[in-house]
Amino acid sequence: MVSPAIALAFLPLVVTLIIRYRYYFVLFYRAFLVRVWQDCATGLSREERAFQYVLTNATPGDPDSILEAFDQWCSKVEFISNIGPKKGKILDRLLMEQSPMTVLELGAHCGYSAVRMARCLPLGARLYSVEMDQRNATIAEKVIRLAGFDDDTLIVSPSDEVIPRLRSDYGLETVDFVFMDHWKKCYLPDLQLLEGSGLLGKGSMILADNVLFPGAPNFLRYVRKSGLYEWRIHQATLEYIRGIRDGMAELVYQGIKGGRAG
Amino acid sequence: MTKCGVSVLTTGDEDEVSSCYEEHEWGKNRVKGREKEREKKKRGNARKKGASRAGRGDEELEERAERGEKGRRRRKRDNHDGKGRERDEEEQAEEKSGRAAKNKKNLKNERTRKMEQEERDTEEGDAKRKKKNESAKREEKKEDGGKRAVKEKANAVKTKKHKKKVETSEEEDVEEEEEEEKEKELRPESLSPEELEKLKEAVDEKKKLIQTLRGKPWPMKKKLSTLRESQEFLEKYEGALGKGKGRRLYAYKVMMTKKWMKFQRDFENFKTACIPWEMKIKEIESHFGSSVASYFIFLRWMYGINMILFGLTFGLVMVPEALMGRPYGSMPRKTVPRADEASAMDFAVLWDFGGYAQYSVLFYGYYNNQRAIGWLKFRMPLSYFLVGVGTVAYSYMVVIRTMARNANESGGGDDNSFNFSWKMFTSWDYLIGNPETADNKFASITTSFKEAILEEQESRKDDNIHLTRFLRVLANFLVMCCLAGSGYLIYFVVRRSQKFALDGLDNHSWWERNEVNMVMSLLGMFCPMLFDVISTLENYHPRIALQWQLGRIFALFLGNLYTFIIALMDEINLKRKEEEIVKFNMTVWEASLYNGTVPENSTAPPVTIHPADVPRGPCWETMVGQEFVRLIISDTMTTYITLLIGDFLRAVLVRFLNYCWCWDLEAGFPSYSEFDVSGNVLGLIFNQGMIWMGAFYAPCLPALNVLRLHVSMYLQCWAVMCCNVPQERVFKASGSNNFYMAMLLVILFLSTLPAIYTIVTIPPSFDCGPFSGKSRMFDVIQETLESDFPAWFSKVFSYASNPGLVLPFLLLMVLAIYYLQSTSKSFKEANVELKKKLQMQNEENKKKSKRAALKAAMDLEEARKAMTQNGRNATPLLTDQEGQLPATRAPVPRTYHHGNHGAPGYLPGIPRQTEARVHRAPSLQRH
Repeated sequence: MVSPAIALAFLPLVVTLIIRYRYYFVLFYRAFLVRVWQDCATGLSREERAFQYVLTNATPGDPDSILEAFDQWCSKVEFISNIGPKKGKILDRLLMEQSPMTVLELGAHCGYSAVRMARCLPLGARLYSVEMDQRNATIAEKVIRLAGFDDDTLIVSPSDEVIPRLRSDYGLETVDFVFMDHWKKCYLPDLQLLEGSGLLGKGSMILADNVLFPGAPNFLRYVRKSGLYEWRIHQATLEYIRGIRDGMAELVYQGIKGGRAG
Repeated sequence: MTKCGVSVLTTGDEDEVSSCYEEHEWGKNRVKGREKEREKKKRGNARKKGASRAGRGDEELEERAERGEKGRRRRKRDNHDGKGRERDEEEQAEEKSGRAAKNKKNLKNERTRKMEQEERDTEEGDAKRKKKNESAKREEKKEDGGKRAVKEKANAVKTKKHKKKVETSEEEDVEEEEEEEKEKELRPESLSPEELEKLKEAVDEKKKLIQTLRGKPWPMKKKLSTLRESQEFLEKYEGALGKGKGRRLYAYKVMMTKKWMKFQRDFENFKTACIPWEMKIKEIESHFGSSVASYFIFLRWMYGINMILFGLTFGLVMVPEALMGRPYGSMPRKTVPRADEASAMDFAVLWDFGGYAQYSVLFYGYYNNQRAIGWLKFRMPLSYFLVGVGTVAYSYMVVIRTMARNANESGGGDDNSFNFSWKMFTSWDYLIGNPETADNKFASITTSFKEAILEEQESRKDDNIHLTRFLRVLANFLVMCCLAGSGYLIYFVVRRSQKFALDGLDNHSWWERNEVNMVMSLLGMFCPMLFDVISTLENYHPRIALQWQLGRIFALFLGNLYTFIIALMDEINLKRKEEEIVKFNMTVWEASLYNGTVPENSTAPPVTIHPADVPRGPCWETMVGQEFVRLIISDTMTTYITLLIGDFLRAVLVRFLNYCWCWDLEAGFPSYSEFDVSGNVLGLIFNQGMIWMGAFYAPCLPALNVLRLHVSMYLQCWAVMCCNVPQERVFKASGSNNFYMAMLLVILFLSTLPAIYTIVTIPPSFDCGPFSGKSRMFDVIQETLESDFPAWFSKVFSYASNPGLVLPFLLLMVLAIYYLQSTSKSFKEANVELKKKLQMQNEENKKKSKRAALKAAMDLEEARKAMTQNGRNATPLLTDQEGQLPATRAPVPRTYHHGNHGAPGYLPGIPRQTEARVHRAPSLQRH
């Protein structure tokens, strides 16, 4: 029988852990516990709940108000790992600077980032969103329509199946901008697929969200080593939660150096 | 050019003559007769031009192309060489600087014309020497004069090529010397004394060059190549000096010097290799920066001290007792009592330092109070006492000496006055050799810059200062609460353990028996983490944060330690009461024994009693020793286990679970641990404090500590390199060494306090230890004085220890300390004053030079204006444009060719600078 005094001696440790990792506890509570509870209580999925909220609170046809409603819901009510307003600003800026004509989005989720990107695209640009889950895809479709965009194509399929078919089925030559926000494990294989299919031209930009938390270490390691990219990491915090550090990796495809040049 | 020269005049006579001419020319040029020289030069130039017009061969053309602008520059300079002095200056400078730089270029030149070079160089060397010592010069000049006559004739035949060669030769002369010496080495006997002299001089010069190389403002590449060449040169020709026997002797000497140097260097290397763990620490330093390394250096230093303490106790106490004292089983205090005999060899008992371990040299109780033991008449009790005092005294001495040394070293500048300059120039840690750490350091420097800028901005606003202050107060309040809580917990546990002890320990579980140690270790482990978390509130610079952290952990440990000591004191009192009872019982027991035995056999009553059966007192000294040993052991175990679990296991998990985990373990949540400098340092310091406290009652403690430090050195080195990551904010810890030392000193003082208190106030046990039977432990000194020293000595001693003498002495010491303190304070003030003065002067100088530069620029403008008005009305626009520039333009390198046209010779302020500007006038003219 362990004496109570020894148990009490562990109190500082517990307090330390709680203080140090408080944001993670908050995240766990909001992203998991609340979700499970609400799933059971309402019978709707998280995305559907979010859509309902947006429907009731946003102005149709106004992407900004839709985004704001999403942000509101995600920070006040429940948690969905959208790109969020802060990292979204970086995304907006990059898109403005780049003004790509063909944009590929991997992982549409519930359409937040699609709306966000579509807002910043130049006239005549086209956005291809890839979403694996059917239910999420329908919601994303609705959200995008609600925002008043119809110049984009939503592809419902796993990303690793879509990418090789992009050229044949959708007539894409090159992709100017790729936004990755799907499964973190898929970042690396998808990047390699993109390279292999020749969709990336010189100067194509790839933006990968959440590379630090939850993190895509293999992806980063590959990018660092391959030498095909000019890359940098935008330091930020996790969306809707302040204390967790996260980052977005911005890669610019440079093409294969040396080999073909000579 | 050179080939051509050789082909034209290879006949020895002419050659010699020509070289004489050169010698004369150069020598003269340097020494005296500048006007004449100029004239001659002009003549020479004229001749040269004529010759060049006449006889220019193909080879020469090639050569010219090769040499390009250098030659051109030379010639230009020759045109203006009326400025003899300046020219000389420049020549010297170029001779120095040119040596290495021109090597490659000159290789080509040197290929063919060794003979010629040789001679010319000899003479050149002569010329140099001449310049150096006036007396020798005169004689040679005469000679020169004689030869000149011959030369004039020969010169007519000569082409200007040779001349040109001369022009360039000063740059080449080193190389040429080398070449020439190569020749010489082949047949050193054939060298004339002059040549030898020259060679010696060259060798000396090389040596000088090597010595002064470090201070030269050259690029590293050049320095390296120069150094290598010079060393090669020395190696080749140093031995060649001297002649016959003398030469051999000289060669031998040189060889021996070289051997000696090599030996010295090897010895240095050897010495470095002998410093224990030096390479390990250097490696860690390169990976983790100096703050982590400072911990290991501290650990090593501690190890050294403990080695000496161990040597003292082991050599003067434990070994003599084991070898010469009475053997085990001869006395009650040296025998395991009958009741414990069965379990005395059990591992659990030995692990608790009971049983046979308790009745051995490891603990106080085993020692006998016999005054002198063995054939050496070793004074055991005295030695025991003196070693106990000596270890503490030695520790004080070492700590204070180290502190004083550190204080001298760190007497540098103040960090406050030039914040950004300090950051700019001193923030890099040059010992870092690991790219990751370098990245971290780079990032930390940039952030520190940002922070400093922000701070600078905010220091003017200071609206946030209240929040910061509030947070700091809050943090301290929280820490206080935490300290109080842990103190209460320990107090509670100690009280409980006393209750358990009264009940009898066997009725309780292992957890309850080891509660005190466990709780102390756990609190010592976890509270610092809490402090760390709390200290993020305060937002201090990491170095200051580290000191705060250290202070807090210090307070925590101190509280724990003193609670422990207070508990021990209680226990000592209990034991002493027990001892009284035992003493009383003993007399009863002895009386009954004698009563029982006397009727039977009156001769030898004690023989029948085995020492194990004799009743004995509790011996509180051994108990104290045991407690300390147990504490050390449990502390060590906790440290190692924390290391293994907290660092190693965590690292393994993070590393290998990362392949199949849903987030990035390495970058995110658990991550690898950082090395906790403050916690480790304090652990070390408190461990040492416990050693100092307990070493008197358990002579084995220093040995144990040496073992522990040794193991932890290897273990921690390994753990750091294998499972820790460099700190996110790497910072230099050069200043924190004395902070550690100060803490060590405080701990030393605080740990000697209770030890001295027990020694002085509590009478020793009656039946165990070297002081048994005495009323106080220090009585052993009086005893020794009385019996081992002559009577007068003890008398003197008693006079000396008279309060009437001691008190004035103490007073004197206090006065001396006060005096030294005040003088050092005044010195410090003077230093500050001087520093201020220096700063003022610096600023003044800066202003002055700025003013001078401005003035010079204005002068230049004026000069230019004057010039343009005088002669150059055609291009006023150009001059105007130029006139605006010089203030912003960097000064042109000096090229000392003054125009013949009269640029105004007004050189105010800094002459060189203005000159550099003024001479741009000719370039203007050329436009």
